[in-house]
Amino acid sequence: MSTWEELASAALVGTDRRPYDGVLLEDAAVEVARRRAGGGLRRPGEVAPPAPAPEEERPAVARRGAERLVRILGGEHERLLPEWLAAAAGTGRRVPPYVLPELLERGRRDRSIRVHLGVLAGQRGRWLAGQNPAWAYLLEEPTGETWELGGAADRRAHLRALRAADPAQARRLLESTWERETPDDRAEFVDVLGDGLSMDDEPFLESALDDRRREVRQAAANLLARLPGSRLSRRMAERVRACVAISGNLIAIEAPRACDKAMERDGVRPKPPRGIGERAWWLQQVIARAPLAVWGHPPAQLLRMRIPDWDADVKAAWVRAAVLQKDPEWARAMFGWDPIADLLESLPPDEQQELAADFVRNHDLDSQLIMVLGGVSSHWREGLATAVLRKIVKVATTQPWNLGELVKLAGERIDPALFPLAESYSPVESIQQVAALLRFRADMYRELKETS
Amino acid sequence: MVERWSRDQVLALAPDASSQKAAQGVAAPGKWSSRGATGTVVYGECKGSGARPYLACVDLTEPAYRCSCPSRKFPCKHALGLLLMWSADGVPEAEAAPQWVTEWQEARAERADKAAARLDAARAKAAGSPADAEPARQGQAGSSAEHARQGRAESPRHARVASGLAEVERWLADQVRQGLAGAAEHDWDGLAKRLIDAQAPGVAGAVSRLAQVRAEDDWPGRLLEEYTLINLLAVAYRRRSELPGPLAQTVLIRTGFPVTREEVLAGPATRDQWDVLGRRDEVQDRLTARRVWLRGRATGRPALILSFAPQGQPLDASLVTGTTIDADVTFYPGAAPLRALVAARHDAVPAAVPAGVSPEEALDEVAGALAEDPWTESWPLVLAGVVPERTTLGGLPLHPRSRDPWRLIAVSGGHPLTVAAEWTPQGLRPLTTWDDEGTAVILS
Repeated sequence: MSTWEELASAALVGTDRRPYDGVLLEDAAVEVARRRAGGGLRRPGEVAPPAPAPEEERPAVARRGAERLVRILGGEHERLLPEWLAAAAGTGRRVPPYVLPELLERGRRDRSIRVHLGVLAGQRGRWLAGQNPAWAYLLEEPTGETWELGGAADRRAHLRALRAADPAQARRLLESTWERETPDDRAEFVDVLGDGLSMDDEPFLESALDDRRREVRQAAANLLARLPGSRLSRRMAERVRACVAISGNLIAIEAPRACDKAMERDGVRPKPPRGIGERAWWLQQVIARAPLAVWGHPPAQLLRMRIPDWDADVKAAWVRAAVLQKDPEWARAMFGWDPIADLLESLPPDEQQELAADFVRNHDLDSQLIMVLGGVSSHWREGLATAVLRKIVKVATTQPWNLGELVKLAGERIDPALFPLAESYSPVESIQQVAALLRFRADMYRELKETS
Repeated sequence: MVERWSRDQVLALAPDASSQKAAQGVAAPGKWSSRGATGTVVYGECKGSGARPYLACVDLTEPAYRCSCPSRKFPCKHALGLLLMWSADGVPEAEAAPQWVTEWQEARAERADKAAARLDAARAKAAGSPADAEPARQGQAGSSAEHARQGRAESPRHARVASGLAEVERWLADQVRQGLAGAAEHDWDGLAKRLIDAQAPGVAGAVSRLAQVRAEDDWPGRLLEEYTLINLLAVAYRRRSELPGPLAQTVLIRTGFPVTREEVLAGPATRDQWDVLGRRDEVQDRLTARRVWLRGRATGRPALILSFAPQGQPLDASLVTGTTIDADVTFYPGAAPLRALVAARHDAVPAAVPAGVSPEEALDEVAGALAEDPWTESWPLVLAGVVPERTTLGGLPLHPRSRDPWRLIAVSGGHPLTVAAEWTPQGLRPLTTWDDEGTAVILS
C-alpha cells in the first residue's frame, strides 16, 4: 500500500481506532502536494493506442463550406442537411475532421443521411468509427471502392455507375456473380437494372422470376412490366384480355376468380392487404403489369367510358400501371383523375413542373398540394416558382397561419439561382423568408465550389 | 485589420444558448439595410419591429459592443448576428465608418484615456509608498513583517478570523480521530456559516463544497485531500508571520481578505502578446464564474482572467478564444500569481498556434506552481506534440468530465498536435486545439 492509501484508510476509520504515528493531517499535506504535482500519476501503458489514421485521399471542403455545415447541424435550416451532404459528396470532397463527431452522431440517429457519409467522412471518419462502436454503421456505407473489394453498398454504387455507362456490361457482370450473391443483394441489384432497361435484359429478368426470394421476383416482375415486348407483358396482356370486354362506351370487367401458380410467378401476390377483396386485388395487379396498349384506346378516352363493375379498382390499377411502366401519356391523364406525386415521376422534368404549376394555380393550399409539389424531382424553375410565390402572397392575406410548410418547401425546392426573383417579388414577410432560404442555398452551392 | 473569427468563436461570445439562436436569426443580409466593416470595426443597421432600425457595431480590437436595441443581453443578438455575417464574409469592406460609429469610438477612446490617467496616478501613488506594492512581487522577509504589522493594525477582523480558523483546526483534528466516515452535511453547513460570521469567506467556501466531494466515487481519499488543504490553510494563517511575503499574501487572499481591483491595476504591468487559450463558465451559488486563460508569448506566463455575474446576466465577453491580444496585464499578489486583470490593450495582433511544451515540462511547471501555492486548483498549459486518447492526453489523465474528447480525437486522428488545456488536480480539461490549417478548434 502506498503512503497515501495508508493515510486515507487511517483517516477513514479514525486514529482513535487505528493509531497513526505522527500528525496525520501534516503528513497528508505533503502527500497531497506531491500527488497533485504528478507524483501520483499512473502512466497508461497496458493498452496500445490505436494506429494513427491513414492519409486522406480526397480534399476537404473549404472552410466556409464546412462552417455552413456546422450551422445547419446547429439547427439553422436543419432540413437542408441532406441537400448539403449530397452536394458536398457530389464534389468528391470530405468534411474537415473537427465536424466529424457531430456529423457521425447525427448519422447514428438519422439513417437517411448515412449514404453520403461514407464518402464525406473520409479516412478520418472511418478511423473514428473504428474506435466508437456507436458510429460503426459508417463502415457499411459506400466509400468509392470497387466491385471486387467493396462492401455491399460500394458494389451497388459500382454496378449503378457501370449500368449508366454500359448497360450490357453491367448485366454481364451481375450475371457472373449472381449465384453467390445474398438474397438481399440480389433484390437490390435487380433494381439497378431499371436504369437503361432494354429487351436485352429480358432473358435474365425472366429467369429471375424463379428466384427463391420474393423481393427478387417482385423487382424482376416490375421491370419486365416496363418492357411491352417481354414474355411477362404478353402473359399479363392475355390475363387482362380475359377479364375485359370493351364495346362502345362501356368497359365490362370480370375480375379473375383465382390466382394460379403462373400468376404468382409473374409477381401477382395472392394474399390481399387488409380492406381489399381477393378478386379486386388480383385484378389491380394484373392491370398494373399489363402493357397499357392492351386497352386499345388513349387514356383520356378510356376515362370517359363507363365501367359498371370494379370502376375504382380499374382506375387505381391504371394509376399504378402508369407509375410502374413510367408511361408519360397515361401519367398525364391519370394525374387529372388522381393528382398524386408518384405520377409526376413518370414525366419528364419540364412537364412535371408545368403540371405542378397548373395544379398550384387551380388548387387551394392543402396537404395534397404540398404532396404534389414534393413529387417534383428537380429544382423548380421560373414558371413553377412564380406560381408558388403568387400562391403564397395570396394566402398570406387570408390565412397566413397555413403557410408554414409551403414557405419552407418553396425555399428548399425553388432553384436557388432564382433568389433575386423571390427577393424582388413581394415585400410580404413569407416571400422574404423564401428569398432568405434561397440565398442561403445559393451561398451554400457557391461555397462548395471553392477550394481551400 | 483584424482576422476574421470562426463561427464558433463568435457564438462563444453569446451570453446564453437562446442568444446564439436569436443571433442566427438576424444573421441574414436581408435583415440589414446597411452594413460595413473597416478592418477594426463592424457596423450595421438592422430592421427591428419599430420604425427606426437598430444601430449595432462591434469594435473588433477589444471586442466591445454597442447596439441601440433595448435588449439587456450583452452582446445582444444584433451585435452577434453582425459578427456572424462578418465571420461568413457577408459584410462588405467600407472606406470609412458612418458618424454614429466614429462618435462611439471617440467616446470610448476618451474614456480609456481617462481610465489610463487614473491608473497612472494610482501607480505613481503606489510607487511613493513601496511597502504596499512590495509583498505582491518579492519574497522578502521584510514584507511579511510588514504584513504582520498590518495584521495587528486590523486586529478586530484578524481576531475573529483567527478564532474561526482555530475552531476549524480543532474540528478537523476531531474528524481524523473519530473517522471521516462520520462526517455529515449539516456539520459542514454549520461550520461554513460560523466561518462566514468569522469573516473568513474563503475557508467557508472550501468547507461548503465538501458535500459535493462526499458525493464523489472515491470520496474517502478526496475528502482527506480537502480536509488536508483546509487544515494547511488554517495552520498557515496562524503562522503567517513566519511565511515569506508573497505566500503570506496568498494565505490572506485564500482565507478571504480581499484585494481590490484598483490595487491590482495599480501593480506593475506585464506587457506581452497574450494568446487567449480558452474559457470555462461555472455556476456557483447563483453566480456564474467565467475563467479565461491566457498565456504570454514572450514571457511564457500563464494568466487567469476571472469574472463573475449573477446567473442570467451577461458575462465579460471581451476575450475571444483563439485570438491573441497585445496587452498590459497586472497580476493579483501571491506566491504563484495566476489571477490577473487586463489593464490596457494595444494594437491587434495576428493569431497563431501558440508554442507548447512537452507533458514533462508542463508537469514541472505545475509542480513549481504547487510548491509555491499548494492550494492552486487550475493552471493553463499548452502541450505540443501530444496524442489525445479517450482518457489521456499526451499520457496525462483527463478530467473525468472531459473523457472521450471526440472532437479533439477527430482533429488529431492519432497524430500529435498542440492542445491548450486546463490542469486541475483531477486531470486535464482540454480547451482548444489547432488543426492542420492552424485554425483554432474550441473543445470545451
